[in-house]
Amino acid sequence: MKERIQLCLRNLARHGWRTRIILLIALFGAFLTFVSENLLEDVSLKQSDMFGRSFAGHFRILNRNIETKNTFGFYHYEPEEMLEPDEIASVKQYLAGLPEVSGSQERIVFSGLLYGADDAEKGFQGIAMDMGAYNQELRDLYYAKGSEVQRGEAASCAASWAEYGKNKIVDVGQRYVFLLPNREGEFVDRFVTVKGGIDYRTMPRDVMGMGSMFFDLDGFRSLVGYSKPLASEVVGFLRDARTASKVLPRIDAWLKQSHPRLKVVSWREYAPIFAEIVLGFDVMMRAVEAILIAICVLLVIKLTTFSIIERYSEIGTMRALGFSRADIAFQFSLEGFLIIAAGTLAGFLLGSAVIGFFHVTGIRNSLTFFAWVIGNGFTPGFHEDKVVAVGLIFLAVAVLAPLLPALQGSRLSILKTLEKR
Amino acid sequence: MNGITIKGLSKDYHLGKTVVRALKGVDLDIKSGSFACVAGPSGSGKTTLLNMIGLIDTPSGGSVRIAGEDIQTLSEQSRTRYRSRTLGFIFQSFNLLPVLDVFENIHLPLILHRELSREEKEGRVMELVRAVGLEEHIRHKPFELSGGQRQRVAIARALVTHPLIVLADEPTANLDSATGTEVLDLMERINAERGTTFIFSSHDPGIMKRAARVIRLHDGEVEAA
Repeated sequence: MKERIQLCLRNLARHGWRTRIILLIALFGAFLTFVSENLLEDVSLKQSDMFGRSFAGHFRILNRNIETKNTFGFYHYEPEEMLEPDEIASVKQYLAGLPEVSGSQERIVFSGLLYGADDAEKGFQGIAMDMGAYNQELRDLYYAKGSEVQRGEAASCAASWAEYGKNKIVDVGQRYVFLLPNREGEFVDRFVTVKGGIDYRTMPRDVMGMGSMFFDLDGFRSLVGYSKPLASEVVGFLRDARTASKVLPRIDAWLKQSHPRLKVVSWREYAPIFAEIVLGFDVMMRAVEAILIAICVLLVIKLTTFSIIERYSEIGTMRALGFSRADIAFQFSLEGFLIIAAGTLAGFLLGSAVIGFFHVTGIRNSLTFFAWVIGNGFTPGFHEDKVVAVGLIFLAVAVLAPLLPALQGSRLSILKTLEKR
Repeated sequence: MNGITIKGLSKDYHLGKTVVRALKGVDLDIKSGSFACVAGPSGSGKTTLLNMIGLIDTPSGGSVRIAGEDIQTLSEQSRTRYRSRTLGFIFQSFNLLPVLDVFENIHLPLILHRELSREEKEGRVMELVRAVGLEEHIRHKPFELSGGQRQRVAIARALVTHPLIVLADEPTANLDSATGTEVLDLMERINAERGTTFIFSSHDPGIMKRAARVIRLHDGEVEAA
């Protein structure tokens, strides 16, 4: 074996430019695949972390009759279709026992007028947000009776949270109430459409630009005159959004048995655009990787074929000296394998250095567009399963890519190869 | 019989609609330990005959028996093994591997001989390096050698597996006459010392004179043997 490897190395050295090209292709391909697979995993986890608590990774348990497709959570229901307190308690208890579920909350879906002059008198304490970490240009958020919130105005926004912190009450209609614009982007005083009931402390500040948000659910119930603590739904949060397809059927099976009038709905149903964003990102990255690997394989095949054509006479000589077809195929495959393996190893080392560097520094993002994907940034790390998977892919490339031309070379007639000079 | 017995050997090449009959029913007996020259003008079938004996080409008819065994009936695996164990080849253009030095080129066929230890292999190579007088060039690559030196390397490579038969297709054709004579001297000496059968082709009358037996081919038929 040592002699064969030695022969391979000599031949690789002879075809210097070709060897370097294959080495660089393998290096580049392995590096990008290694880095992107590890980063992709971190991005996926980040998305699960972000969307899992806001959009992508959460699911809803609600009345089976309610149509939720493409509603983005703003669906219509009748009061009798709300969850009863015992149903809420039972569902929350069940979800607490699932390891894939990080938490759950009941909530009321509503759209309507808030902050009426008599809200406080009716017991609704309003909402408050922690703007201490606010650092984005979030133009759809307005400060009451003021102008648009600009980047760097965290201090002024934080005042509302400080005020709330004093006695956990925000004076409705007063200085520290935040308002959202309507669909036309106009600032409409005292009118807001929000999804109520959720404790936005579960939502990372990366997404909303705020640390937490308080919604007075009990106060709202009192305001609208519910006699019992009903809820439109129970929202569950997945630790990893990618586990939805495994966890949700289990929950649905349990609901059919324990609460037949309830169903579980994935975010994919009522907000498919988010599923498409996540899927599109994954597909895009995987397509880039697949193209890279395909280019790598095709170039290796092409360059190995050139090597074989150049060395026809050598193949004939070796066959005449007693080397079998398998020996010839093995020899050329080994050459291809060694060079791709070396390139892959170099690509892995370079990729490890890059991931290691970003592991220390973290990846920061200040672009609003990418905030939908990675928020303010994340800290990449190494993922054993991804490292093994990329390693196996390139091992397969190293074994299979040179094999086809090597087999073709080994099947050449001795006579014809000896005739080629 | 340990020699080569050829009966009714024929070879047809099909070039489009034309059939070229390179060998037309050749019958030959070549004894073990012979120093035989296959002679004849270009196109007489010399190389084709050597290719048939060397299992490089397959005949259209007839048989070649070496030590009583019909080598044409062997499987692909057995043919490969036969080339490795029984036959040695010397080519007109030397056919050395350019990336290997003298020692490595001679050593090349021994890669397949796993039954030999590293010391045994090195011993065989060094013995032949001395026999062909290339001790001083042992680490030289083929491009650093003269034509005669390259052919001596090729002879050593053909002998390193201790074959019964060495086939040499016009081994002196690319050499000047003095170097050609040197190469032939070497082949003759090894034939005498080791009893290895040498069958070489040539159309040079000077070379033919050196052979113990001359097999004359003309238009694919044996004219005189």
